[in-house]
Amino acid sequence: MDVGGTFTDAVLVADGEVRTAKVRTGARQEESVLAAAQAVGGSAVDRFTHGTTVATNALLERKGARTAFVTTAGFEHMLHLRRQNRAHLYRLCEDHPAPLVPLERCTGVRERLGPDGVIEPLDLESLPELDAEAIAVCLLFAFRDPSHERAVADELRRRHPGAHVVASHEVAPEFREYERASTTAADAYLGPTLGGYLGRLGESARAVGLPEPLVMRSSGGVATLEEAAAHASWALLSGPAGGVVGAARMAALAGFEDAIAFDMGGTSTDVCLIAGGAAERSFERSIAGLPIRLPSVDVHTVGAGGGSVAWVDSGGALRVGPESAGADPGPACYGAGGTRPTVTDANLLLGRLPARLPDGLELDRVAAERALGPIDPQDVVDIVNAEMLRALRVVSVERGRDPRAFALVAFGGAGPLHACALAEELGSTTVLVPEAAGVLSALGLAVGDERRDQVRSVVRPLAELDDLPEEGEADLRYRGQSFELTVPLGPDLAGRFHRLHEERYGYADLDRELELVAIRTAEVRPGPELQLPDVAAAAATGPALIELEGATCWLPPGWVGARDGSGWRLTKA
Amino acid sequence: MNIQLQVVGHALRAVAEEIGAALIRSAFSANIKERRDCSTALFDERGRMVAQAEHIPVHLGAMPDAVAAVMKHRPARDDVFVLNDPFAGGTHLPDITLVSRTELGFAVTRAHHADVGGIEPGSMPAGSRTLEEEGVVIPPTRLDERTLEALVGRMRNPDERLGDFRAQLAAHRLADERVSELAARHGSSRVRAAMDELIAYSERVVRAGIARLPDGRYEASDVLEAPDGELELRVAVTVEGSRLEVDFGGTAPQHDGNLNCPLAVTRSATFFVVRCLTDPDMPASAGAFAPVAVSAPQGSLINAKPGAAVAGGNVETSCRIVDVLFRAFGQAVDVPAQGQGTMNNLTLGNDRFTYYETLGGGQGACPDADGPSGVHVTMSNTLTTPVEALELAYPLRVRRHDLRLGSGGAGRHRGGDGVVREIEALEPCRASILSDRRDHAPAGSRGGEPGRAGRNFLNGNALPSKTTVDLESGDVLRLETPGGGGWGRR
Repeated sequence: MDVGGTFTDAVLVADGEVRTAKVRTGARQEESVLAAAQAVGGSAVDRFTHGTTVATNALLERKGARTAFVTTAGFEHMLHLRRQNRAHLYRLCEDHPAPLVPLERCTGVRERLGPDGVIEPLDLESLPELDAEAIAVCLLFAFRDPSHERAVADELRRRHPGAHVVASHEVAPEFREYERASTTAADAYLGPTLGGYLGRLGESARAVGLPEPLVMRSSGGVATLEEAAAHASWALLSGPAGGVVGAARMAALAGFEDAIAFDMGGTSTDVCLIAGGAAERSFERSIAGLPIRLPSVDVHTVGAGGGSVAWVDSGGALRVGPESAGADPGPACYGAGGTRPTVTDANLLLGRLPARLPDGLELDRVAAERALGPIDPQDVVDIVNAEMLRALRVVSVERGRDPRAFALVAFGGAGPLHACALAEELGSTTVLVPEAAGVLSALGLAVGDERRDQVRSVVRPLAELDDLPEEGEADLRYRGQSFELTVPLGPDLAGRFHRLHEERYGYADLDRELELVAIRTAEVRPGPELQLPDVAAAAATGPALIELEGATCWLPPGWVGARDGSGWRLTKA
Repeated sequence: MNIQLQVVGHALRAVAEEIGAALIRSAFSANIKERRDCSTALFDERGRMVAQAEHIPVHLGAMPDAVAAVMKHRPARDDVFVLNDPFAGGTHLPDITLVSRTELGFAVTRAHHADVGGIEPGSMPAGSRTLEEEGVVIPPTRLDERTLEALVGRMRNPDERLGDFRAQLAAHRLADERVSELAARHGSSRVRAAMDELIAYSERVVRAGIARLPDGRYEASDVLEAPDGELELRVAVTVEGSRLEVDFGGTAPQHDGNLNCPLAVTRSATFFVVRCLTDPDMPASAGAFAPVAVSAPQGSLINAKPGAAVAGGNVETSCRIVDVLFRAFGQAVDVPAQGQGTMNNLTLGNDRFTYYETLGGGQGACPDADGPSGVHVTMSNTLTTPVEALELAYPLRVRRHDLRLGSGGAGRHRGGDGVVREIEALEPCRASILSDRRDHAPAGSRGGEPGRAGRNFLNGNALPSKTTVDLESGDVLRLETPGGGGWGRR
């Protein structure tokens, strides 16, 4: 079950058959989930997996718990000071999104740890009285020694039995205090909301005889209901992670270990590199303007999609986005009152959309023409493609990967419309459009691995360390740098780092000392095998429109398409 | 506007950004990697700036001089030139600029290195009187292995310097590769046409923005706090249609300290204000500078003669140039109240280590919003070094880092608050403080109250705005940065 903003998608995999259903998402997500389960006919199943936007929405809409923050005395305003850079270089009063904890609930406790141990002992008496539903605790150097933080958290749990207390070493034990504090604050802030939702969902599932749901987390793996509820910030990318896992699985079925997931929706587009069959992961990202330092699929998002509005700026340049017509009123051709030209309107005028969408909506060509006026629809598509191309290059070329060897997996409502043109720009000759392009995220949930990530902060010279684990990854850097590269553990760790540094940044320095910043390990239990049903083979030659469930695919001249069990494989002739 | 050219232009801007990101992630100086005190740019064959990824505004208009200085030496296809001479294409000595050829012009990287020699560790001395005292002066020089070894040998911590040079050189190889790829894919003539179009486009956007300002002549003055007395900055701005003339006539002559700056820095500060007032989202290129004429008397504080000390000009005087310009434009249109107007530069070091940081403060309130608190205003936008990263690497301890509540000026919209930061030395070292707005508080606008002036202390005793002191182990420096001015009567 994948709950999105507009629709809840269900995919049922049973006996070599894949069934799908879509229901409108209601105000209470747990009800939408059950309605979708019923619609797809799922009752006696072995495994029930779930992608949720409850945590993400609570963050975007600022509807989390009333939260307090406790840190080392003297640093109370840590969440408000951020890293002191302003939000926009030339709009002087533009501000960052407000911190999740207002100043009056940012407090300090007397204690101090340093790089070499205790500088000032913990004084629990100095802990102030707090009035909050959730409390985040982040003390300096707790990534190295969590004893003070643990004692503070224990005391707070004793004093405030009803509050959701999270300590930074429990959620993100990594150095750099602001990023760790921001992650901890988000985890505490979202905990009661996500916990309450998952509790209700678990009960409802039990009532209708479904197994306890497994929840997709940002890392691209599912976890138990209890684990997911304990740390809400791990679920912030639950939805996009499902899509990437689904794309990786579809690529593998088509024989591609290396691919780029390209998910173009109405207002934004997510791209993610898949290498060796698995999504690339990152360990810090900004979500709703807040740094979140947690493992996640390395999705790169651009604010442009089918609903993005085209406009001409004061220098005469055609621009697309960031404004979007959204779902309401939507593109002009949807006939719901939209008057501004969108990418979808341009696609319609170029003959890349049918007169009637699969869900029955008649597209209004005249309204699209009126909205575009003198703007050439091909120009709109070229400009939005330039944005997309930039995103695709960021995850491939700019990370030292040659995209020519990668297949593009296109999904989302608009992905299959733009994919072939983008593949040509990248020099790639294969586009995969899954049959389930409209519900790929839900399919990814169905087959997702169970995964538990762990990180241990080290920050010591590599040469001084022995007994490293055999499996997992290491964050390494040249001593003196401040960004790390993540390298798989194993023989010749230093050599792997030098090679990756050369690949990413154009040089390696074999004589320079290496520093190991963190060790990352994960416990993984593989998800179920996916067997796809036999479908009628089909072929197409561009130019052609291929209609899919929930999406339309544009096959330009010079491209041919062939359909098999997993979907359409489009090839540059 | 031709869409294909626009698409290629998009790709050129992406190249400038990509090489900037690679430089930051692989550099060694805290100034580059943590604080992003660096910029990267592509220029065309005629030496006109095509695209720039600027992470801090002070580099905005100061790169064209570097390319012009290098072009005089007729660089060959494979040459890389290095320079930092403020009077031959540079800004202040720690900013080391590399210029290389690409298939269709030039690539430039500029990065603030942690040390370039001179009388004080960190090469940002508070009391320098000549350029030589501030570090190694590099005129435009062809860079090969031998020159490189010789250069870093004259700086502190040559091994780290070498690391930063390697990161910059790698960025140049990347730029060369990417420009050649674009030329191969789209054809050289189309890429050249796209460069022309980018430049023409920025010019159109800026001209449209200037045309919206009321015509007229607007004058203003403001002061800097120098150890040898106050220094006055004067400006007269003339708006005439889509043209702008900025004349700094009447500004104090260059002084015996280091608040002087070359005209390149004055131009950068001017372009910053023009960009804030016209189109904040416009991509930077040579065209954006075309409608703006900047002049300042030879030998004045902001157009100093070769050999003048300039360490503080880039960081402090540049802030005041912005303040005086906003004050002049404020007679024509609504502008933000004054922000903290200083970068609060603090350098700590001895023979074993060098650490440099700058501190945020209050932004002045805007006509429609409160000023943000604890941020860099105007010409900088560098990040703080995390306390945990700082203490793992240096013999220093941060005792306090908080907002300076109540320091922003009141008004219909409040000025942002400054910050309080206390640092304890854990071994003997020298500290240089280069700060301003300690005597003259940031002014409010349209009836808003001023912000609070900044303050510096050593073990609780007041220090002047610019000073160098010896610290013993256990000594504590405390900086309180200025709050921003308020906007409008309450």
